[in-house]
Amino acid sequence: MKDWEARLRTEARKLLEQGEIEYLIGFAPGSLKFTTTPLITGNKEDAGLLVINPFITNNLSVFLNETRGRTGIVAKGCDARAIISLIQDNQVAREKVFIIGVPCPGIIDLRKVEKLTGRDRDELDDITLAGERVTVTWDGQPREFPAAEVLRDDCLDCTSPAPREYDLLLGEEAHAGAAAGRGKSKIRELEALPPERRWDFWKNEFSRCIRCYACRQICPACFCERCFVEEAEPHWVSPLPAWQENLLFQATRIIHVAGRCVDCGECERACPVHIPLRLLTGKMEDIVDELFHYRAGMDKNEPPLMTAYQPEEAEDFIR
Amino acid sequence: MKKIKKQELARLLQQWQADYTVLAPSRATEVAAMAEWDGKDIGFLEWYRNTVIPPKEVILPNMEELFRFQKEGAGYRLTAAAPEAKQLVFGIRPCDARALAIIDLVFQDTYPDDYYLSRRQNTLLVGLGCTRPCDSCFCTSMGVSPGESGDVDLMCTDTGDELMIEGITAKGKELLEKTGGLAEASPEDGSRRQEAIEQARQRITRHLDTGGIAEKLQRSFEDKEFWERIAAKCITCGVCTFLCPTCYCFDINDEKTAAGGGARFRNWDSCSFAAYTRMPAENPREQKWQRVRQKVCHKYEFYPRLFNIIACTGCGRCIRLCPVNWDITETLKSVPAPTTT
Amino acid sequence: MSNEGWEPKILGFLCKWCSYAGADLAGTSRKKYPANIRIIKIPCSGRIDPLLIIKALRLGFDGVLVSGCHPGDCHYQTGNYRARRRIAITKKFLEYLGVEPQRLQASWVSASEGDKFARVVAEVTREVKEVGPNRLFVDERLGSQVTD
Repeated sequence: MKDWEARLRTEARKLLEQGEIEYLIGFAPGSLKFTTTPLITGNKEDAGLLVINPFITNNLSVFLNETRGRTGIVAKGCDARAIISLIQDNQVAREKVFIIGVPCPGIIDLRKVEKLTGRDRDELDDITLAGERVTVTWDGQPREFPAAEVLRDDCLDCTSPAPREYDLLLGEEAHAGAAAGRGKSKIRELEALPPERRWDFWKNEFSRCIRCYACRQICPACFCERCFVEEAEPHWVSPLPAWQENLLFQATRIIHVAGRCVDCGECERACPVHIPLRLLTGKMEDIVDELFHYRAGMDKNEPPLMTAYQPEEAEDFIR
Repeated sequence: MKKIKKQELARLLQQWQADYTVLAPSRATEVAAMAEWDGKDIGFLEWYRNTVIPPKEVILPNMEELFRFQKEGAGYRLTAAAPEAKQLVFGIRPCDARALAIIDLVFQDTYPDDYYLSRRQNTLLVGLGCTRPCDSCFCTSMGVSPGESGDVDLMCTDTGDELMIEGITAKGKELLEKTGGLAEASPEDGSRRQEAIEQARQRITRHLDTGGIAEKLQRSFEDKEFWERIAAKCITCGVCTFLCPTCYCFDINDEKTAAGGGARFRNWDSCSFAAYTRMPAENPREQKWQRVRQKVCHKYEFYPRLFNIIACTGCGRCIRLCPVNWDITETLKSVPAPTTT
Repeated sequence: MSNEGWEPKILGFLCKWCSYAGADLAGTSRKKYPANIRIIKIPCSGRIDPLLIIKALRLGFDGVLVSGCHPGDCHYQTGNYRARRRIAITKKFLEYLGVEPQRLQASWVSASEGDKFARVVAEVTREVKEVGPNRLFVDERLGSQVTD
């Protein structure tokens, strides 16, 4: 990944210098250990700050509608799909973006690392990813783990780690869902429960939602200028964080993004109270695939799922 | 000053449970928050650094019923929400305790807020000094010492195997007098306590110079380019504001229940949301950079102008929980110095 | 808790051009059907936002029926195709959350199908009655929000 980083810095600088792009969206080192932060800049000197590492978690496509002018964007496989989905939705013009593709080896889930090591993030000395192994160092001692134990769930059964659409690809290798199926194991567990237990589960999870809307704000598919929760006439959802309203909000949001959500998992990561939102986005991805054999962001020329239709399909529930 | 062995903390809390609803750090709801103590578990002493949800929640809840209303004849009958029982918060950190003192100033101002003030009156704070500050903490730069506090009723210091307990307020001293099972602290204990306080200070790694920050911000107010750059990666969610112990903005909503009745509630609101200042005719903070500017200036310029204190205690939650790692200390360091003296 | 004497409340979203007209026809033809349904006229089944369905359940309705024109006959050409996809997804997703599948129902009823409308309402009412009252969102403190 280090040579990808070097190449990225060179290329990004050149693109800005030559006026190929007016803005660049990438990742810079974060202000905390093992974090990165979005870098949005029009200044070619900032290209030297760009990084590629296993902590480039954000889906930067969420910023695409904010830059005025041709924009270079660093995109992992899931991010590229999100960009394609935005193109399908006519939110972003293909010509507007210069996609710098990162064949993603997987992103590390710091919460998993903390659980595994019993240490908080700032008490760890180092975390490095090398192929199928992750080395975590704490108290001066390096310890190895299988990567599958610390990679994000959505990375575990990622089927498109390499960006499907790009203008420049930084490298060749990409892990191909090292533990396919494992990322959705919790969904399968939930499905096996009786309906009342499932509802109780969600009731419980949404009792701690504080309605910060981090999930909605970090999601590239949530690009409505005015969200349904902000409507006062009619007042669909109360701003009160009662579990009923929280559940109403999130369930509706997940259905609203159906067919456009690439299950990048950022909503779950952004949630400060750790609501397992991927148990919803992942399931929605499955539903959409099962019903319509569709996956978001695969082909920029494909019509969006919810505007397309076949003359005959999905009718068995209709009288 | 009194002391107790940490392993005997349960007996102390149980004593207090007789007269108070005791709240202590808990991970029962997945993330750390102050919750009703279960009567026996003191395992939090192992993992507790600070809560995700700030303790302000027990005084200014995210969903607070103000009163109920019921149609009666030509009008409505109003029933005030039941007064809260006395509560005791065990383990509040100096940063969060200072934060309460800071927002008290708003709720005591021109229109005293009885809901806030009565909860505040009914809440006894037992502070616990930090031993393992986070890398995002910068309390020392905000005039807070992580190991000690004057903003609580009782202050505990962790000296390894024991907790030193000191009465700070009259209420706290009174409680300490009535509390059994405590030993007297010796002069050696006192020095150990001082050491712990000093050690906690040393462990703060993030620093910020707030000298002249209000003036710098005032002069940079119209610098749109600066604020646009600062705001670029912010996604305008409510994480920083909701989890900030000194944020206090709220919304008020009436919710209808069946047959002509309902209740009025208060819930947290955030100036980061576009909807916060949205009105039918206009939105003075439509643009993201305007809202980010507002948030920074409110805490580091407007509040000091009104109340002579910065509305920030360096707890670091906004830094470590921000989904894009937007960092207030970095922002403040980059505010341009005034070009004229 | 016994459900004796309990009658389900069903919210029906009927498209103006086909299903609502069909319901009208059922009325003028004096076709009997259960009075459990409360009807809201919408321009097209394509108007249905999953929000409306979930909100209906939140308010305490025991069942929701969405009815539109037959595929190919939509007054707006493609509205019912969109509705079909949306409702299909909503149904599966709500089921995953733990909502009883019988609570969301859909039908194609044309303006001339007064008989069918009556039959659909009878069937839907029966199925929802079997499932029982909707207590999904009930909270002792806030109570139900359905007013008569």
